[in-house]
Amino acid sequence: MSNENFRRELNNAVDQISGSPSPALRDRVRSSLRGASRSAGPNWIAAAAAAVIAILLVGVLVVANPLNRPNRQGPIAGTSPTPTPSAPAASPTPSPSLPAMVCATNQPPMTSSAPAVVFIDSLRTGTHAGYDRLTIEFKNGAPTLVDAQWQTSTTFTQSPSGQTLTVQGTHGILVTMHGADLHTDYTGSLDIKTGYSGLIEVRRVQDFEGVVQLALGVSGPGCYRWFFLSNPDRLVIDIQTS
Amino acid sequence: MTSATAGDANSFASLLDPLLDPAYRLAAVMLGDRGAAEDAVQEASIKAWRKLRQLRGDAGSLRSWFLSIVANECRMTRRQRWWGVLKMAEIEKAPNAEVETAPSDLHRALLRLSPEERLPLVLHFYLDLPLEEVARTLRISPSAAKSRIYRAARRLRSDLTMEEVF
Repeated sequence: MSNENFRRELNNAVDQISGSPSPALRDRVRSSLRGASRSAGPNWIAAAAAAVIAILLVGVLVVANPLNRPNRQGPIAGTSPTPTPSAPAASPTPSPSLPAMVCATNQPPMTSSAPAVVFIDSLRTGTHAGYDRLTIEFKNGAPTLVDAQWQTSTTFTQSPSGQTLTVQGTHGILVTMHGADLHTDYTGSLDIKTGYSGLIEVRRVQDFEGVVQLALGVSGPGCYRWFFLSNPDRLVIDIQTS
Repeated sequence: MTSATAGDANSFASLLDPLLDPAYRLAAVMLGDRGAAEDAVQEASIKAWRKLRQLRGDAGSLRSWFLSIVANECRMTRRQRWWGVLKMAEIEKAPNAEVETAPSDLHRALLRLSPEERLPLVLHFYLDLPLEEVARTLRISPSAAKSRIYRAARRLRSDLTMEEVF
């Protein structure tokens, strides 16, 4: 087989596998470039500085243990849940001897390197064959806890005002991110009307005291999925459309 | 390139425009999923925009630099971890989905290769990148790139000689 024949056959195979990109790809890219912030300086400097500070801080806390409190640890199988006599009853600091008190079922374990607050720097939407997608990008890590609650209505209660808001669509999803911030780095719209068939609207419900809630107005069969991607950290929510 | 480096997103988008099609093809072949390929290209574009200073205004290296970001994004997509699946029915193909032609032997053989093996083949044969640019995209030496292309090609057609490949 000659080089030309091989090349032609290979190119046909690639064409078969890839097809052509959707006409919307260019607009998607342009739109996401406009919505994406650019860092002011080299990221590695900020990352290195943060790492050094974190290491120093952890080192000081581990060596000095200034409050003479036990380190925060997860429960150890087989240990007795005996209260620590020196720990005040109302102390918010968990003790390894009181694991049941700190292990809330819906909270993942927190590590010392986890940032207290992660900054959302972009909200992006896109439509694909079979689903619409919302991508929430974080600047400095993933939030400590994320929850997504499906609801049959499209009305949500804002916090802290207590006022209600209604988004477009037939159903709603309330996405709650603990340890997140939408007002420091994010400069885009807080009420995104997509014009898609599945994900109709994305609107801020709360951005207060480290809790961010987004209301998603959706339509369609009522199915969705969510997952995390890393580097950069982002939460992806897909709404099925067919 | 100057205005893009200075922070003009529209200028950067214009620079990327001619690269989106090859980037998509590369991603589609690496991932075997057209929707995921478009996502990968979109994410890679944002990363490229954020890292544009690394290019130091070298427009001649833009293509290989961007394609290497796309390839990395594809690798990360393949490694992605699903943290939760709440409720998701099977997504069926749209009834008007285009009718696929029967895959050729080479098509099937290509899909049997690992994504890392497909990558140099697409770069060299499909996108017509010269060896030096394939090497820059893969971040390896030209001789290593040549060797990877040949090895992958031989896995598709075991009777190929080096002269027939290059």
